[in-house]
Amino acid sequence: MSAAHDIPRRRPLLRAALPAAGLLPLVLWQIVFFVVPVALIFGVSVWRTQSYRLIPAFTFDNYIAIFARPAIWRALLLSVETAAFVTVACAVLAFPVAYFIAKKAGRWRGLLLVAVIAPFWISIVMRVAAWRLLLGERGVINQVAMTLGLTDAPMSFLLYSPVSTAIGLIYAYLPLYVLPLYAAISNIHDNWIEAALDLNASPARTFFEVILPLSAPGLVVGAVFCFVFGLGEFVTPALLGGGKQLMFSQVIQDEFQRRLDWPSGAAMAVVLLVLVFAALALSMKWIRRASGETGL
Amino acid sequence: MNRLSFGWTLPAYSVLLYAFLYLPIVVIVLFAFDAKAIPGLPIDAFTTDWFSASLGDTRLVGSLLTSIRLALMAAVLSTALAMPAAMVLAWRPVRMKSLVLCLVLGPVVLPQLVLGLGLVVLFRAAPDLIGAPAIVLAHTTMTSSYATLMLYSRFLGFRRSYIEAAMNLGADEFTTFREVVLPLVAPSLIAVLLLAFTDAFGEFVVAWFLAGFTETLPIAIWTSLRQVISPKIYALSALVILVTLFVSVSAQVWILGQSRRECES
Amino acid sequence: MTERSPNAVELRAVSKVYGASAAVRDVSMEIARGAFVTILGPSGCGKSTLLRMISGFVTPSSGDVLIDGVSVLGAAPYERDTAMVFQDYALFPHRTVAQNLAFGLRMRRIAKDEIARRVEAMLELVNLRGFGDRRVSQMSGGQAQRVALGRALIVRPAVLLLDEPLGALDLKLRKQMQAELKTIHRDLGLTFVAVTHDQEEALTLSDRIAVMNGGALEQFDTPENLYRRPATRFVADFVGNANLFDARIGGGGRVAADSLPLTLDLSAAQRGGRGEGTRVALVVRPETIAVGAAAPAHHDCRVEARVDEIMFSGAVQQITGHLPDGTRLTAHQSAALPAPERGATAIFSWPGQSVWLVDG
Ligand SMILES: Nc1ncnc2c1ncn2[C@@H]1O[C@H](COP(=O)(O)OP(=O)(O)OP(=O)(O)O)[C@@H](O)[C@H]1O
Ligand SMILES: [Mg+2]
Repeated sequence: MSAAHDIPRRRPLLRAALPAAGLLPLVLWQIVFFVVPVALIFGVSVWRTQSYRLIPAFTFDNYIAIFARPAIWRALLLSVETAAFVTVACAVLAFPVAYFIAKKAGRWRGLLLVAVIAPFWISIVMRVAAWRLLLGERGVINQVAMTLGLTDAPMSFLLYSPVSTAIGLIYAYLPLYVLPLYAAISNIHDNWIEAALDLNASPARTFFEVILPLSAPGLVVGAVFCFVFGLGEFVTPALLGGGKQLMFSQVIQDEFQRRLDWPSGAAMAVVLLVLVFAALALSMKWIRRASGETGL
Repeated sequence: MNRLSFGWTLPAYSVLLYAFLYLPIVVIVLFAFDAKAIPGLPIDAFTTDWFSASLGDTRLVGSLLTSIRLALMAAVLSTALAMPAAMVLAWRPVRMKSLVLCLVLGPVVLPQLVLGLGLVVLFRAAPDLIGAPAIVLAHTTMTSSYATLMLYSRFLGFRRSYIEAAMNLGADEFTTFREVVLPLVAPSLIAVLLLAFTDAFGEFVVAWFLAGFTETLPIAIWTSLRQVISPKIYALSALVILVTLFVSVSAQVWILGQSRRECES
Repeated sequence: MTERSPNAVELRAVSKVYGASAAVRDVSMEIARGAFVTILGPSGCGKSTLLRMISGFVTPSSGDVLIDGVSVLGAAPYERDTAMVFQDYALFPHRTVAQNLAFGLRMRRIAKDEIARRVEAMLELVNLRGFGDRRVSQMSGGQAQRVALGRALIVRPAVLLLDEPLGALDLKLRKQMQAELKTIHRDLGLTFVAVTHDQEEALTLSDRIAVMNGGALEQFDTPENLYRRPATRFVADFVGNANLFDARIGGGGRVAADSLPLTLDLSAAQRGGRGEGTRVALVVRPETIAVGAAAPAHHDCRVEARVDEIMFSGAVQQITGHLPDGTRLTAHQSAALPAPERGATAIFSWPGQSVWLVDG
């Protein structure tokens, strides 16, 4: 009795084709709905418009125009500044919590980590709506501050200003920063910290010479994602930032949808993309290191 | 536990930070019960009327149902795309693997604004798809990235010897998948489905660009945020937020429990 | 039934190359039906790769693999009549013990009642009666090992492949499982091919042992021949830790050791047909060496050496010493005999007819 003959044979050709068949749908999908749209943006950015109609051409006028319009410059600068500020603020705010979860939370660490990330899954529009309730002139924060006598008149800078945009962005991306930091900090062995303390390093020196350098991969990766997402974020500035000081993403959207000048908007989008890819490229080494350590 | 102890400062700070993270959620839920037509402190009277009002608002409920329907499609589609790809990436030698991974990761780091605008340009070639189909296609693109990443790491951790044992005992590729792989990764698969659903459900920017006359819930809220906002919105948001929190937390706790079980065995 | 090959497995010059290095090189081997063969060798020598070429998880770079006389090169693992016991057991965690056992039979589309009957019989055979409904996570190491064995045995494969099956067990359990494996092999009459890097396990279990080194097959022979007539220096050293002394064959069959004050008259059989001038190594088993103030009469090879170390391990004492030129010697002798003193000079002696030659 030979069992081999009871088992149906499958053609080797079909077997060899299985891996390709598994990968192909996703790859094709991403080419059509990710690569092609991005390529189209690049393409359109060198076209022209004439009385609201797209003219295929090859011109750098749109890019030159960006640099000629100070309003766009200011928006770009404000976006970069805000994203940078948000990144630093997130790093400072996230670090102690990541440290606490990684080193002090014991068996609660899983749940605490999930609890940090959970708000991230709520629709951004709803999160922003909630912040409007908090930050408005008659919002919760002003009401509480006035009741406590901290201020006489409502603080009007809280809503519809770069401040409120920054608060909204910090709120949105703080969870994203905790994750890589947590991963990096949990990779620091307690022994190393112990060793530093045993060598009579003060807690401060231990922090700056052991903990901080070893969490650098997490810090950098978190920073990149925070910065990149903050730079391109649209909903938060649009709903919290008010209409006076526009961010770059708002200008792009305005160009595309209200002024219907696609080539000009596409050129700005390309500038945004270049910034994003520059940030990613500069930190690639660190992203590799961090993902290697967490085993992703 | 190491000796570098910060006493009560670290826990206290953490409590404050969690308060910051959950403050907006608490506020929106609280104001959903505020009896005033324009919500604000102090809340003198509580009511549940806004909940019934929002559920009676056909336009709001319609957008909610649209969101659920489209997100469900995107979640199923993206998981179906992601699962075989993640298996191949994790288990088979793939030529130009880093290129494929870049392709997969791209939509994660690409500003949604840019993806949305690019898709607007793309769909000029197929204007009939604008609306629900375009939204599903776009959301699938975005969520399949996350889904592939999550499943890829799950499959990397999957013990190869289970597969070899099955094949060795006479199970072909498909039978092995059905009898061994699928039952063992089912929890992760469900978790990924849930997270993809949540992500697609809440996405606004890209959907807004491609919506045409279709209205998803985030779009409906966006529209109402530009006018005087009705407490009905807060009531519905509160419901949705609580469900979202429940779904995402349980999905992630599930994944967490899975990986812990894997480590122990 | 047509004429069957007497060999359950036949390897014909198989090699497996990974990039620039060969995991297995040019291995040929015939494994008779019903034999218990172990593949023995140091870590990384290609044992698992060889086993996985038989089971179909690794495709040979060159050469041919035959099962029951038929080439299986194009056949997928599930098309080959092999069953494997994995080092980590790979028991399906979502199935009970009985479901694990039944898996291979279900794949062969065997009737339900027949499956139930055979599962019961297998539970009996591997001493797990009443454990059928347990979850595999509730099994102890030894029990899990038995389930893994049963799951592979139940399909009555042409070859049962075992990759370090006892590697995860503690010493006592390991001894017990060795005995059980041996009994099961004898009772069922199936062909077993096991991988191990434990030479004692290989010697106890198998009819024949394949010793591998650096991807190549050094020797494939019975345990006794491996021990008494090793083919290479490596085998002599790896199996039984022999003393090896470089030597040279002189005129008239006399062999002169380079470093020992020793010449031996060896029979033609011992010389293995090697001619004058050939460089060889003398293989002297530690067990054949006696250490004392004088040599027993029949020990015609005698050297004087300084005693470095004496280690007792139960019934045997291991004595190491060195000659004036630094050559080291190891002897095993009964712990009942008087031990020489450390640092003292003693006579190390052995009978010349127990010496074996390998190529130098
Ligand atoms: N898939 C692979 N790719 C590259 N090299 C491999 C691969 N599989 C095995 N090797 C190499 O082939 C050699 C033999 O490996 P193999 O697993 O057969 O050794 P082994 O004798 O079973 O060792 P051990 O006793 O440690 O299990 C090793 O050097 C290993 O690094
Ligand atoms: Mg091995």
